[in-house]
Amino acid sequence: MAHDSTPQKPIVVYGTIFVLLFLPLIISTPLATEILIWTIFGMGFNLLLGYTGVLSFGHAAYFGLGAYSAGLAFRNLEASLPVGIALGVLAPMLLACLIGALAIRKRGVYFAMISLAFAQMLYFLALSPLKHITRGEDGLTQIPTMAIFSLSLGKPLPLYYFIMMTTSVMLFATWRILQSPFGKLLQAFRENEERAKACGYNTTLVKFFSLVISAFYAGLAGALNTVYLGYVPLTTLFWLTSGTMVMMTILGGKGTFLGPLVGVGVFLFLQNTISLFTPRWELFVGAIFVAIILLFPAGIMGTLEEKIAAFRLKREAKLVKE
Amino acid sequence: MILRTEKICKYFGGLKAVDEVDFVLRKGQLKSIIGPNGAGKTTLFNLIAGAYLPTKGKVYFKDQDISSFSLNKVSRLGVVKTYQINHIFPSLSVFENIRIAAQVRKTSFNFWRPAASYKEINELAEQILTQVELTEKRNWPASTLSHGERRYLEIGIALATRPEILLLDEPTAGMSCAETNQCAEMIKKLNQELGLSIVLVEHDMSVVMSISEEILVMNEGRTLAEGTPREVSDNEEVQRVYLG
Repeated sequence: MAHDSTPQKPIVVYGTIFVLLFLPLIISTPLATEILIWTIFGMGFNLLLGYTGVLSFGHAAYFGLGAYSAGLAFRNLEASLPVGIALGVLAPMLLACLIGALAIRKRGVYFAMISLAFAQMLYFLALSPLKHITRGEDGLTQIPTMAIFSLSLGKPLPLYYFIMMTTSVMLFATWRILQSPFGKLLQAFRENEERAKACGYNTTLVKFFSLVISAFYAGLAGALNTVYLGYVPLTTLFWLTSGTMVMMTILGGKGTFLGPLVGVGVFLFLQNTISLFTPRWELFVGAIFVAIILLFPAGIMGTLEEKIAAFRLKREAKLVKE
Repeated sequence: MILRTEKICKYFGGLKAVDEVDFVLRKGQLKSIIGPNGAGKTTLFNLIAGAYLPTKGKVYFKDQDISSFSLNKVSRLGVVKTYQINHIFPSLSVFENIRIAAQVRKTSFNFWRPAASYKEINELAEQILTQVELTEKRNWPASTLSHGERRYLEIGIALATRPEILLLDEPTAGMSCAETNQCAEMIKKLNQELGLSIVLVEHDMSVVMSISEEILVMNEGRTLAEGTPREVSDNEEVQRVYLG
């Protein structure tokens, strides 16, 4: 069962940022960069799935749209880095407003299926009818290397530290959101929507805002992915991207603060390592995923936090008795 | 009067769950609704609370027609219900359960300021924790509470929204004898000390008779009798249908 695991003090945020500073010394810089991009995506997805309890199977739409919007802005409009990223964030948020307005009242698997349908619609639009803009299956290429304050992001380390700074800001923002009345409300919604309604909350609005904020994160991750890769593959919009995100979130522990980072880290590390030995890496990653879920039913961080919470509760019960 | 229904009806297909019931509650009154299973007590409750839309008839709160208002809108006006089966936020701490309800009128969609920094809300939550006698377990996940404690938390959540009318649906259900007496005392205190208007649906006749000012008896969706506890218990029809 999920529990309120939001760290009360920002020490967890600062500690994580400190570790991220040295991540390129432990693993390869491109892998570290990829982990951070997917972590931003994961933090947003976790807000929706883990904290609000709403499953979206179409988050690739926001990630892909963010990637394409930024890519097109960089390539066709020669937009600067902040402008391209801003467009990459804005477009998915608008899409989330549209999808939210149409489908947010649907619950559970119905919302998941509608979101998947929207994402696949976008994928097929990019594949064929909008091929003259998106370049279809080839993906969007010839995106110029970006720079910030005249520092080129073409090299791995400057790019890593730029994305690390963005991730740090998003980690802190996520922590603040989860501490806020709105963050608490998200958890209340996940726990018992009916009761939240009876308390006077407009739960449809809660779900809607959660979706739009989540799309913000996904769009930002998509835009950063474009800066990182220098092109936009069509697969960013494919359902497999959404599925991978679901897997990463569950692996790390949905509804836990560090779950997305841990889930993404473990998944991408396994993928990168195993694919060195076999092209059938999915088979092994899948088997390891099953094993981890059997060992850690609430995900890695979820299970660890549950154990810590149980220990604390036992200690407190003893104190109450005394 | 603070609340009234006017010939309110709720039909589920051919079933008349509530049929032309006139219910009146004065400000500060503690009124109970009793009746056999399936009499329509909880349905009437849900009609007042906005959980159901009436098929016919009206609900007035302070002379405002609230018949078409949703559950959350009615709650924001100050008419708040509790549930027959516990509806709490199980994984959150006891304190957080109450604080979330307490913040509803002050702030809901603030994304940035920490919830802990809202002094007034936290003080209200602490005060309610004391009222429902759960201070010692404030940090416990609500799921770890005993049944009786969960019933108290259920009331605490409703209280935290600062209601003018509290709709209590079988608050003592599943409680032990001692817990039931304690709970009845608490309800009486809420009514007398805080001046809360309370509507109580309850099967435990000792509780109903000891704390109610007035009682509405329902049977098969209709009003069977209404009056003081003495009048109701003396009513032959009520004795035949319900009290036995």
